[in-house]
Amino acid sequence: MDISFKNVSYTYQPNTPFEHRAIHGLSFKISSGSFVAIVGHTGSGKSTLIQHLNGLLRPTIGQVTIGGFQLSSEKKLKQMKELRRRVGVVFQYPEHQLFEETVAKDIAFGPSNFGVDSEEISRRTLEAIKAVGLPEPLLERSPFDLSGGQMRRVAIAGVLAMNPEVLVLDEPTAGLDPRGQTEVMDMFYQLHQQKQLTTILVTHSMEDALHYADHVIILDHGTKYMEGKPEEVFVKKKELNKVQLDVPEVIQFLFKVEKKFGVRLTYHGQGLNEIANELHSIIKGADSIE
Amino acid sequence: MNNAFIIGQYVPGESLIHRLDPRTKIMIIFFFVIFVFFANSAASYGLLTAFSIISAIVTRIKLSYIFKGLTPVWFLIVFTFFLHLIVTREGEVLFEVLSFPIYSGAVIQGSEISLRFFLLILVTSLLTLTTSPIEITDAIESLLHPLKRIKFPVHELALMMSISLRFIPTLMQETEKISKAQASRGVDFKTGPIKDRVQAIVPLLVPLFVSAFKRAEELAMAMEARGYQGGEGRTKLRELRIVNRDRYTALLFILIIIGLFLTRS
Ligand SMILES: Nc1ncnc2c1ncn2[C@@H]1O[C@H](COP(=O)(O)OP(=O)(O)OP(=O)(O)O)[C@@H](O)[C@H]1O
Ligand SMILES: [Mg+2]
Repeated sequence: MDISFKNVSYTYQPNTPFEHRAIHGLSFKISSGSFVAIVGHTGSGKSTLIQHLNGLLRPTIGQVTIGGFQLSSEKKLKQMKELRRRVGVVFQYPEHQLFEETVAKDIAFGPSNFGVDSEEISRRTLEAIKAVGLPEPLLERSPFDLSGGQMRRVAIAGVLAMNPEVLVLDEPTAGLDPRGQTEVMDMFYQLHQQKQLTTILVTHSMEDALHYADHVIILDHGTKYMEGKPEEVFVKKKELNKVQLDVPEVIQFLFKVEKKFGVRLTYHGQGLNEIANELHSIIKGADSIE
Repeated sequence: MNNAFIIGQYVPGESLIHRLDPRTKIMIIFFFVIFVFFANSAASYGLLTAFSIISAIVTRIKLSYIFKGLTPVWFLIVFTFFLHLIVTREGEVLFEVLSFPIYSGAVIQGSEISLRFFLLILVTSLLTLTTSPIEITDAIESLLHPLKRIKFPVHELALMMSISLRFIPTLMQETEKISKAQASRGVDFKTGPIKDRVQAIVPLLVPLFVSAFKRAEELAMAMEARGYQGGEGRTKLRELRIVNRDRYTALLFILIIIGLFLTRS
């Protein structure tokens, strides 16, 4: 589903002393099947933005279009449930939403709300638990007996079992161990590629944004600060530092190489190995000249 | 979440009423609540109404915000009024609505009760609007201090109050977060048959309880780790102090009460 924001603003608690405009005049487009990262300093409005994607919030001004669904302040969407079935959201710390007696029941909760039949549900439950890398016997355990990382995976499985077409992830790896972070992110990337899932990732990790996304949107104080391909956006060190963001480490490394050795390596999405090779040939080349 | 509901909501500010000692405010409201029931003439009601409205203006909080926040109470006030119109049969018949007689006594009694009700709610909500929960607890602890002599656990009560007040916003945020997460999984809290809506509460309540217990445990641990052992010998970070501003306000209030008794019929 194509997604577009047209001049969207959202104000929390309007007409009270606590009025707060969290996003303001946002316009952008996300095409179906792409992987988009949304980054920005804390409080810049990322979570507010993504809550528009499944109609939890309706724009105060402007219009949000998700496939055939339209959200605006004027009228309520009739097919809200249908929208929520098609757009799965994994919230910050999703393990807080677990409540059932067993893991299997909790994973089945979403699909059964959307009227999926029980045979299909058990098929999806198995598929989801495998996708998040948990062993099958865990299905009969209580979700409250699991470790934090396992709970996180169960919560993610619960969203995957809804079979959404758009997957929205709000800092899905916050608080996981480094190994777990890579595993979870790789899993999302695989799903994105296998099922052509439109994926929208909110993250504080510039490395993840650079590595996985094919489009980056940077927010600052509720407005769009920059957007573009990650390898174009993430080389603008000055602009990024201005909104308290860092350049990803790989690119920092290339900058440092340039400063120290005076050789310029442009970043075009190459991995560490390729960079090592490029450096190798440059240094070798320099040697042979001397 | 119903953001318009302001009872119990604190709006920080610098007005005279914000800066009054919380004990002054609580005592004034305590006596106001009693004396409202002494008013019985137009002039005495006028005096109390003027006092409440002027106090509301002095807080410098937008009046529209205060009044809109009382929306659920407006309903009760109007309901009380109409109940009196229907039930009370005193005085003479003023006019008839669909051959149902409306008595003058009913109109008068209905308005009086509704006005009292309105004044009570307005003045008490001014207290919570201009006084932070911490100040209110400190004031209650200080006001109840004499009860210590009869072994009443004043400090513990105040601690319990301040902890609960502290966690109300946290719990509300948590409720909002969890209900959004479950709504994303297809729970519908707002429409559908009552039975379904009651069932929809389970996925909300279980996580809320789990996190509340976890929080309580963490808080207890943190307090113990920092050497908390109850009220004995504890000093205070914020000392409450009665200053001239409080004395003048109290004096003004006493004058108003005297005025109330003079204007009674
Ligand atoms: N329910 C709410 N009521 C009032 N203000 C809110 C609410 N939720 C968020 N805000 C405010 O809106 C602004 C944007 O919040 P948001 O949660 O979208 O930020 P974020 O970019 O997700 O931050 P983080 O990286 O810390 O998660 C913040 O200033 C926040 O204080
Ligand atoms: Mg956020």
